[in-house]
Amino acid sequence: MTAPQVEVLLQTILSGLLLGGLYALIGIGMTLIMGVMKIINLAHGELMMVGMYIAYVLFSTFHIDPYLSILVAAPALFLLGVFLQKFLINPVMKVDAIIPENQVILTVGIGMVLANIATIIFSSDYKTTPVDYATKAWYLSDIWKTSPIEISLSLPWTVSFCCALAITGGLWFFLGKTDMGKSIRATAQDKDAALLMGVNVEKMRVVTFGLGSALVGSAGCLFIPIYYLYPDLGGQFTLTAFVITILGGLGSTVGAIVGGLILGVFESLTSTYAGMGWAPVGRFVIFLAALIFVPQGIMSLFTRKRFGK
Amino acid sequence: MKRIVVVLLTLLLSGLFSSTLFAADTFDLVIPLPLTGKTAKFGEMMKRSYEMAAEEINAKGGVKKKKIALSFEDSGAKPETARAIVEKLIDTKKQPIIVGEYTSACAKAVAAVAEERKTPYLVVASADDDITQKKYKYVFRQNPVNAHYSDSLIDFIAKVVKPKTMVILYESSAFGTSGAEAMAKDAEKAGIKVLLKEKYEAGSVDFKPLLSKVKATQADVIYMVSYVMDASLLMKQIKELRIDAKLFAGGAAGFAIPEFIDNAKEAAEYVITATLWTPQLKYPGAKEYADKYKAKYKDFPSYHGASAYSAIYVVKDALERAKSWTPDGIRDALKATNTMTAFGPVRFEDKEGYQNQNFTDTFVLQVIKGEHETIWPEKYANKKYIFPIPTWRERR
Repeated sequence: MTAPQVEVLLQTILSGLLLGGLYALIGIGMTLIMGVMKIINLAHGELMMVGMYIAYVLFSTFHIDPYLSILVAAPALFLLGVFLQKFLINPVMKVDAIIPENQVILTVGIGMVLANIATIIFSSDYKTTPVDYATKAWYLSDIWKTSPIEISLSLPWTVSFCCALAITGGLWFFLGKTDMGKSIRATAQDKDAALLMGVNVEKMRVVTFGLGSALVGSAGCLFIPIYYLYPDLGGQFTLTAFVITILGGLGSTVGAIVGGLILGVFESLTSTYAGMGWAPVGRFVIFLAALIFVPQGIMSLFTRKRFGK
Repeated sequence: MKRIVVVLLTLLLSGLFSSTLFAADTFDLVIPLPLTGKTAKFGEMMKRSYEMAAEEINAKGGVKKKKIALSFEDSGAKPETARAIVEKLIDTKKQPIIVGEYTSACAKAVAAVAEERKTPYLVVASADDDITQKKYKYVFRQNPVNAHYSDSLIDFIAKVVKPKTMVILYESSAFGTSGAEAMAKDAEKAGIKVLLKEKYEAGSVDFKPLLSKVKATQADVIYMVSYVMDASLLMKQIKELRIDAKLFAGGAAGFAIPEFIDNAKEAAEYVITATLWTPQLKYPGAKEYADKYKAKYKDFPSYHGASAYSAIYVVKDALERAKSWTPDGIRDALKATNTMTAFGPVRFEDKEGYQNQNFTDTFVLQVIKGEHETIWPEKYANKKYIFPIPTWRERR
């Protein structure tokens, strides 16, 4: 491989990883809700859109940096999630309906309502938060003067990626070490057993939905400095989250992280070597491949090997 | 039953009254245009511009002492609705001239009706080449066609930049594809080698994989056909990757509007783009129109508005010269049009396989110090172009 070819490959993988980290954060919320409640939340992207609008409003009226607005957006989205679960999804889960999985259809409706409310309030124009550091980047040739290749690392992308990692780490700690986290995992594993062990399953569901919303809301805040915003943006990210959830194995948080990174890198590689018009095709190829070859998700491969089953 | 009859009678009478009473001192013109749907934004801009022109003309005494009375019908950018509106206008209202519409699909539908019913139709902002290539006698077009959109841009590139190679990036839509095809053809004619012609999905988050491939080609010119948000993301990520082409060029649309600079900020600097009209042009009334529009609606109009505004003046000019205000009388007057408007000179010519087509110059804008400035053709320039442009490393 010649130097320029190496440069293209490295830059592609690098941007794929950065994108994948953000994808992981979007996917992890959906996977969490999926694990505990056994429903696919198809309003996931719209919740992210709400988080982005919060960041946008804070930026345009109070000049608060989008990254700082996570502190506002995440609690706000948590409350929104709690509200949706308690007053909309829970009542529907209790009734026997003609259509199976009617809660899933309800989430589609919630998504539409959110998108339309956003259109009414903010109109369908594109919005951005033009921050000063939007195009700042670090360059390999600045550090290593005689480098034969040039790799650049964008500042906002890197910050977003690190924040996503930190949030994921925090979630890991919460689920693994705290009482409530353990209760959530217990509910996900076996709802009836958890109930017998004295876990307040109802409450855990509410908390999980809130948590999942808060996660995707903060993903929105991390996305807005590098992207832009309009009311109908949700759909494309719901789809991404869905692919990641399937890829990582329904309900597996580690799986979502691995799935996000794989999807990010795979999309980047298709963009470079097959053409960017093929990126959506790549996404669905990976989705189908996951459904056919690893229906239990990526993580099932590792656990099987470890236990030799 | 009785009540219905009474209501109908009143309606009929008032209808008769209004037409007999007011027909004497007004010229009624109903304009079909999209006021709902995706293109509503442009429809709204054109509606405001038509109204501004009519107000000005009426304030100065109207056309042959008759006031122009405008009204609008929403076609929702649907060809079948546009067709129905125009059929009604010609058949029942006997309107002797049709003006308006925006999307090419609607304009095509209207043109077919107008030709069939032998009523002149003035196309204002629909760019599809086809519309004036069908040997229609009654269809006139004021705006330049798609094929000539980037004439000045190519001229600038060939005369000033003199590149050997080019990369074309475009969004995967009809608009992007036709723009890229046209540019590829033009580049070949000018002896420029197209190294890479790639499409992308509009709304993508990360263009860096594609752009790092572009960087490896080391092309002289990067030409992009995009709408506004993709345009600014592309330029931002080009800056991040420090891709040093000799020139970054955009094909109108996303690059020619102020939002592009607002979003891409310093990454937008020195980018050139093709456009059909700018408020800086030295056409009589261009600046006044733009300022008046901005004062009223807080935003500069794009060429769509300017063309609509000027169309009313073209109609006025034709009406003044027409021997009779019948479709054929007005058609002959339109054919002989030779007037100057805020949109530029208007003359309907038959050449290059087009009929009744107005050929005006197109322009090249460059972003200089965060403003769009007209730089080409030189006789219209209000700022000297900046070329060669500094590399990204030098810019800081």
